[in-house]
Amino acid sequence: MTPLQLVFLLTAALTLVAAFRVVTTRNLVHAALWLVVTLFGVAVLFVLLNAPFLAVVQVVVYIGAIAVLFIFAIMLTRREMRDQGAQLNKGWWAAALVSLLTFGGLFWLTRSWDGFTRTAAPLPTGQDTLSALGKALVSPDAFVLPFEIASVLLLAALVGAVYVAYREK
Amino acid sequence: MDSALILEWVIKSAILIFVLLTGFAYLTLFERRALARIQVRIGPNRAGPFGLLQPVADGLKLIFKEELTPAEADKVLFTLAPVVTVVPALILAAVIPWGRDVTLFGRQVSLSVADLNVGVLYIMAVSSIAVYGIVLAGWSSNNKYALLGGLRSSAQMISYELALGLAFVPAILLADSMRMVDIVEAQHPWWFVVIQPVGTAIFLIATLAEVNRAPFDMPEAEQELTAGYHTEYSGMKFALFFMAEYAKMIVISSIAATLFFGGYLGPGVDRYPWLGPLYLFIKIVILLFGMIWLRATFPRIRYDRLMAFGWKVLLPLALAVTFITALGIVLEMLWLIPVLSLAAGLFTVAMVHRALRRKAYARA
Amino acid sequence: MTQADLYTLLPLIVLVIWACALLLVDLLIPRGRKGITAFLAALGLALTLGLTLAQVSAAGTAFQGMVVLDGFARFVNALLALTGLLGVGLAYGYVRRMGIERGEYYTLLLFSVAGMMLMAQAADLIVVFLALELLSIPLYILAAFARPKETSEEAGLKYFLLGAFATGFVVYGIALTFGATGTTSLSGIIAAASNGDAGLLLTIGAALILVGFGFKVAVVPFHMWTPDVYQGAPSAVTAFMAAGAKIAGFAALLRVFGLAFSSLSADLTAILWTLSALTMIVGNILAIAQTNIKRLLAYSSIAHAGYILMAFVPFGNAEVLPVSVAAGVFYLVAYTLTNFGAWAVVIALEKAEGRGLDLDDYAGLGRKYPALAAAMTVFMLSLTGVPPTLGLVGKFYLFRAVIAGGFYGLAVIGVLTSLISAYYYLRVVVIMYMREGEPERVSEPWLNLTWAASALAVVLISLVPAPLFAWASQAVFALF
Repeated sequence: MTPLQLVFLLTAALTLVAAFRVVTTRNLVHAALWLVVTLFGVAVLFVLLNAPFLAVVQVVVYIGAIAVLFIFAIMLTRREMRDQGAQLNKGWWAAALVSLLTFGGLFWLTRSWDGFTRTAAPLPTGQDTLSALGKALVSPDAFVLPFEIASVLLLAALVGAVYVAYREK
Repeated sequence: MDSALILEWVIKSAILIFVLLTGFAYLTLFERRALARIQVRIGPNRAGPFGLLQPVADGLKLIFKEELTPAEADKVLFTLAPVVTVVPALILAAVIPWGRDVTLFGRQVSLSVADLNVGVLYIMAVSSIAVYGIVLAGWSSNNKYALLGGLRSSAQMISYELALGLAFVPAILLADSMRMVDIVEAQHPWWFVVIQPVGTAIFLIATLAEVNRAPFDMPEAEQELTAGYHTEYSGMKFALFFMAEYAKMIVISSIAATLFFGGYLGPGVDRYPWLGPLYLFIKIVILLFGMIWLRATFPRIRYDRLMAFGWKVLLPLALAVTFITALGIVLEMLWLIPVLSLAAGLFTVAMVHRALRRKAYARA
Repeated sequence: MTQADLYTLLPLIVLVIWACALLLVDLLIPRGRKGITAFLAALGLALTLGLTLAQVSAAGTAFQGMVVLDGFARFVNALLALTGLLGVGLAYGYVRRMGIERGEYYTLLLFSVAGMMLMAQAADLIVVFLALELLSIPLYILAAFARPKETSEEAGLKYFLLGAFATGFVVYGIALTFGATGTTSLSGIIAAASNGDAGLLLTIGAALILVGFGFKVAVVPFHMWTPDVYQGAPSAVTAFMAAGAKIAGFAALLRVFGLAFSSLSADLTAILWTLSALTMIVGNILAIAQTNIKRLLAYSSIAHAGYILMAFVPFGNAEVLPVSVAAGVFYLVAYTLTNFGAWAVVIALEKAEGRGLDLDDYAGLGRKYPALAAAMTVFMLSLTGVPPTLGLVGKFYLFRAVIAGGFYGLAVIGVLTSLISAYYYLRVVVIMYMREGEPERVSEPWLNLTWAASALAVVLISLVPAPLFAWASQAVFALF
């Protein structure tokens, strides 16, 4: 096992354990923090995949903004930080069964797919992926249209959010 | 990976952390002395010559203080919070270049710990993590003043992070790179503060809010919140928060110096690369003095005004500045950037002035 | 970016810019005079409609194959712009009466129409996804527009949560499709699928996308949200949502399934058949028990989603598909007109606090307001599929196409469920004419125009449906 594989396995294990804790822990703030750990694990995976930009963006956007907002919202709205209700309802075994079946089914169905065993082509050395990515986002030959639509979409969502939250005096 | 390289990294990291920690200690002394001067006092001058041993005495005192943990606190997070606050402050400094490459013991050594091609984004990422320490400290103490302090501070940091992030953009655009070394080298004839003075101003204001310094030291407004998020902390844990604040001041000043004030550049650097760290040090000290000066001069802003200023003034202005910078670069008329952005800045100041005057009249 | 690229999206671009400008202009319009905003929004939609019709169809793709302009897109876009216009017309007096008159209403409506139009033009799954969000998010807000009224908030939240859930399915499906074919462009997917190197993963991806769209157009078993949302949302929003979201959803379904996934017909035809049959049966049967007109129309809209979905069942049969899709598009037109008319009548009788919405409130309408009652009768007949209305013509074309595809069972189910639906639609008519009551209606010029014009159109077009069907066929045939 190379050191890189070891790092990968440790990160993957940490990510999975943290993700599991997100749904099992009863304290909401702790759940949010476990989510942060999960997201951080994903960022590390990006680094291992030679994608430092995505890793940093993952940290900035998900850990630095979204998870902070989660914690913020929990603290502002909840008096009781502990979830008091039962964690599982009566239908838990059915849900577990469906999840297992879906997972097993998908696993079985995609077993034949060669995408799992194919090795990705190595990145061309010396290529500046960062500027390539940046240019692709705004180039008319690539993704400028989705980029602009996303901007309009966010504007609409912003207007809507302000409207819903606005308290008239 | 070659073991000499790893050794080099370890040594550089150790030096950096050592510099930050001593810097922190002496920055407290510097601040107390400078504040005292401004207030026509003398300041601490008993421990050692000019009070130079004062930080050592303070440190000893803090180590021997009793550590209290509130009974109802969330023990794990309560212990973790100071650590989470300090670590980002320290690792933030990793991407700052202290000078050009130098030859040392026959090796080509670059004077920065990590030379990332996403250096600027790294700074944003790490500084965005810093919120956690404060929020968690406030929440885990299980004390309403602490919680309010933590919430205030996180709201403030999130709000000003936007303007801060946008203030990075002019520097990135002008240097056409996110690598810190490239940004410094791109400032060769003209520092970016000359090309983009308004962007620099936005950056400095936003960083003040990010490190919770006066006049934005809302989270620890004594009159309202006792000591804010670190109300329940004592002893070495408290010292860690203290350390984080001052270490962040140093790091943020060095980032500002690097992005807008030419970093390690200065007369003679081409000939003698060892001058680089010296120039950077001088610039950092000047910026730090500016922060202290502000603290001595300005009263604390009211909280709603603080938020309004961040969202309604700083953010639009930062957007305008970003746009102006891009415009100047596309048109290849760099002189346009300072002219237009100063105009935008003056317009903003005039509007704020008008709004405040109106409010004053409405009250009267 | 060439001029041709921009020309392809010209109506859409104009609409989006108009919406952004409206957002700013609205700040200058004093409260209480937001009718001006409505007028400006209608102007923008009219301009878009004109531009859409004026676009000379040099069928082609733009922006690296992300969007496409063809006869189908123009037809659907024109229909969508009309939907928007009708939506503004219905809202004009309604929002004022209900005390929710805000400029944002019209801006959000314009953004939603823009999303719908983009959906009709999308030729890439990324654009499909973004268009889906652009049309949905304003609709979530519009559904909750009467906040802090609880029913409206509930509608908005429910719609948002289930919509977000559905979006998750779509994204997952797109991801699997991308994994299977290595591309998100529809033409690329066609190429990859015909090479046969896609396999099961593509089928799963397609099925997940179908689930997502099934939520949007309210196909059973993904219909649970519909009655609550339709009931809780302001009626003017419901009318717009019922028509617009269906048109856009089915347009995207056509592009994605009719074209890109046509090689999967062996796996998916049975699923579509079942979904269509289930939707018709469940929608119509549940509608019988409703006593609230908004819920009744909600279940009716579910049932109609089933009828329209019928058009996609023969999607592997290259010979029948164009005809059946043309029938589906024609049915969409019929449904849109009838739907807006019916909701206009509902709005005319609705009062504040959600009163005036029970079927009993329609008693005596025939005697007191004969014209309104006659219009409502036309709409109910059209929804049932009884002559002389557009609904009959639409159903006729649909059943004919399905039979041509060899799906006799489905056609039989369609006819039988139409018979069931006659029970509750005609009950409305019976209540209006046979029972005594003192209904109060609201008379506003735009509202009256909407129901009167819709009723006239539903009757008149049904007498000479051939030109419209020819136009629809021409639009659709260009695709294949």
